[in-house]
Amino acid sequence: MMNLDEIFVTRNWVGKPVRRDEDIRLIKGEGAYVDDLDMDCAHVAFLRSVYAHARITKIDTSKAEALKGVIAVVSGPEVAKQTKPIVARAITQPAIQYVMADKKVRYVGEPLVAVAAEDRYIAEDALELIDVEYEPLPVVVEIEDALKNDSPLIFEEAGSNVLLHDKLEHGNMDAAYQEADLVVKEHFRVHRYSSTPLENWAMIAKHEKGNDSFVVWANDQQPGRSTTNVCNTLGIPNNRFRLIVPDSGGGFGIKLAIWPYIVILCLLAKKVDKPVKWVQTRREHLLGGSHAPDCDVEIELPMKKDGKILGLFIKDIENDGSFVHTAGIYGLIKFATMVGCYDIRATRAELISVVTQKGPTVQNRGVGKPTMIFVLERMMDIAAKKLGLDPVEIRFRNFVQPKQMPYTTPSGEIYESGNYPECLQKALSLSGYNELKKQQMEMRKKGKYIGLGISAGIEPGTSNLGYYYTSRGVPEYMGNAEGAIVSIDYDGNVNVVMGSVDQGQGHATTITQVIADMLDIHPERVSVDSHLDSLVSPFLGHSGAYSNKFNDVDLGAVIMATKKVRDKMVRIASHMLGEETGELQLKNGAVCSSKDEQKSVSFQEIASLAYKKILLLPDGVEPGLKEIAYYKNSMAKRPSRDDFNVQITHSNSVHVVAVEVDMETGEVTFLKYVIVHDCGRQLNPGIVEGMTIGSTVHGIGAALLEEFVYDENGQPLSASFMDYMKPVAGGLPRIELAHMESPCPYTLLGSKAVGEGGAIGSVAAVANAVEDALSPFHVKVVSLPITPQKVVRAVKETKEI
Amino acid sequence: MHRVQARINGKDYEHEVDARLLLVHYIREKARLTGTHVGCDTGNCGACTVFYNGKPVKSCMMLAVQANRAEITTVEGLAGNGLHPVQEAFLNRFAVQCGYCTPGMLLSAVSLLESNAEPSEAEIREAIEGNLCMCTGYQQIVDAIKYAAEMIKGSAGKAL
Repeated sequence: MMNLDEIFVTRNWVGKPVRRDEDIRLIKGEGAYVDDLDMDCAHVAFLRSVYAHARITKIDTSKAEALKGVIAVVSGPEVAKQTKPIVARAITQPAIQYVMADKKVRYVGEPLVAVAAEDRYIAEDALELIDVEYEPLPVVVEIEDALKNDSPLIFEEAGSNVLLHDKLEHGNMDAAYQEADLVVKEHFRVHRYSSTPLENWAMIAKHEKGNDSFVVWANDQQPGRSTTNVCNTLGIPNNRFRLIVPDSGGGFGIKLAIWPYIVILCLLAKKVDKPVKWVQTRREHLLGGSHAPDCDVEIELPMKKDGKILGLFIKDIENDGSFVHTAGIYGLIKFATMVGCYDIRATRAELISVVTQKGPTVQNRGVGKPTMIFVLERMMDIAAKKLGLDPVEIRFRNFVQPKQMPYTTPSGEIYESGNYPECLQKALSLSGYNELKKQQMEMRKKGKYIGLGISAGIEPGTSNLGYYYTSRGVPEYMGNAEGAIVSIDYDGNVNVVMGSVDQGQGHATTITQVIADMLDIHPERVSVDSHLDSLVSPFLGHSGAYSNKFNDVDLGAVIMATKKVRDKMVRIASHMLGEETGELQLKNGAVCSSKDEQKSVSFQEIASLAYKKILLLPDGVEPGLKEIAYYKNSMAKRPSRDDFNVQITHSNSVHVVAVEVDMETGEVTFLKYVIVHDCGRQLNPGIVEGMTIGSTVHGIGAALLEEFVYDENGQPLSASFMDYMKPVAGGLPRIELAHMESPCPYTLLGSKAVGEGGAIGSVAAVANAVEDALSPFHVKVVSLPITPQKVVRAVKETKEI
Repeated sequence: MHRVQARINGKDYEHEVDARLLLVHYIREKARLTGTHVGCDTGNCGACTVFYNGKPVKSCMMLAVQANRAEITTVEGLAGNGLHPVQEAFLNRFAVQCGYCTPGMLLSAVSLLESNAEPSEAEIREAIEGNLCMCTGYQQIVDAIKYAAEMIKGSAGKAL
């Protein structure tokens, strides 16, 4: 953390719930999402595989091409000839997959043919006229199917359906087992779900015939990586591809890897004399618009009788479906979150990624952290029960203590700040935990089953992108950074262009708050263009919105660029006023003498020299007032299997939940929901509150409602919001939120991640509460989601959810 | 092809349309009012909510031809040059994140307050059950609607 006095000249805006600058357009219906852009486009529809696994023996598009209104068609085999295979980030086995199905299809919904027509209705009509012949192949749906010795191979060249198998050990696990009084073991199964942004994927591609280049408008969440992936896949130089990201209707990770479709649109655009537009339908989104993988986790805790955990072993098998680009990522992020908030000195992890015939997976909100904390926090309750300890007590006995900060985990993750015991204490008192316990006993006598659940979760942020080197040698990306351009215009107002993008997080507002306090101006004088344009925005391979990096490196870049502009203005003012720079200060949009505030020049007057009267500038000062800065968090370690950090900041939270479970219907009703959250210094509490509550509701949906279900043939059974249940306003608890602020020493403002935390802590807390409610029936929760059917069955028969 | 004459936000529109054209596509593509959004294919998400002769409907569940001689209000027509109190409340209570559900959410909220000036939290939650929001977890939206009800009541008091 920098000395804030070096950054800010006022403290009027940062930390206050400043109203969101973005909202005025959005509430008037003046948002500019991709589908709103006023362009004369051809409209694209995709023919998708109806089989989970089949060889393609024929694709005949001639009738479709002959339909009136159809402009162009591309099919999988044609695309494969013109492109390189999809690049893999984490897996180690060779697996060749193109952006469209080539010789065979690997999941229901895989794109086979793309049609561009005068309107979407005609494009959809044309799909009906395409003749595809399939030769169905045996399917691999679940993890067990993929691991069988005689399992059909999805990628023959891989020789197996296991595409990544890695083992990592840190600290002395053998000693932990030897010293243990007991080993608590469990086996969990976590389902597939997704945070499903309300706006589906959308993109427009235009081919500039004159210089054979492309302009693409897309709601891409990670433009830095997408730009290079699209160019490499198409085999074109980067300067022939321009990506523009307008407003985006939610992301949550689900729009991080839309680039394979950008490749397809570019190839279609080459055949069409106007831009081509594809807006994904919800059905397409739920089929193949990417999910969090389902997984199977075995876990062991060698422990002492007093509840002290000596070591932690996990074997994680993730079902990554059929998308080689992101397969294998979740395991490594679970690994980074493995010890949670606890002082555990030895870890052993076996990480496996299998390919199956389920849909593609991508980084959904929290990326494995919600699962890891679910597993770990379930284990704390299970171990407590085994040892006759209170679930609260076992957590207190294992927490990393504030005096241990900064605390390094066995594998090298650095927890830089936080007070975990106080966070739990605060959540207990805010929720009236002891009182709730008394009520629980009384209600039970009346035949009502109330359960209390606690989770203490860690929320790592700012990804050190080299993390997947663990399996692949030297990684292509390392560390994390972002870029910003800050300029003062003729009027002395500030304009900002970012390398990152926004999907509703209120980045622009937060940036205006920071700059207003750096320059002593009203935030209204700062305008932030949150639309990325790869031609002008200062982007890096890291650019995008993921792992809650905004508060860290994005704002770091803004602060550094603003400092450069500020220093330059002071230098010019010093020349204009004839005062030493050290004698000057910023005040109300002007630079003035510290001794005599009457001696003052406004930003506008300074800008007038910088832009117009350039002959009056001091010697050696360039004209203009526009500065660019890239900022990297220097705490990211270089690749090494022995000592590495996957994420750079670490927020934490405690969730306390009270539920009532109806034994007849299996329905779970919320009675109380309390969160105490520590994301370091809060920059805008109104935004932090919304992010935390929204994220928590994602976790509640995942715990109780949502699941991508497949039948034994790999057919998805949840391809609309009628089958894939999202939380609605009714039935949700009123969430009470309180904060702790342990500033992060390694970010400029002392801020830390917010956004994933709710989704991380809630899944475990809800599951623990349900199990507690069902404790008279000796039911154990080892899988998700906790649906009413599973509850009723568990109480009557299986004793397990 | 069928002729559709519709009045949207007080302005008259007239187009020849296919019988199968959805009302939401008519509003977005023919009338070029893009504040009304599409978030699903099945009438579940409510992003396409508009007023149809004064009543909230999901415009992806209706055909454009059904709008013939109908009066339609979209988010763009919710207030004249200023802001509707519900819009003002959404601004004040951080009820917007990505903004994609917002237009539909606003229309459902306005419709609720027109029939129930002092809704309870449970009534507000029920009234917006047909509108999915993936960002906020609804709480700040619920708070905004409650605040809007208070603002409307307060200004009515002053007028008396």
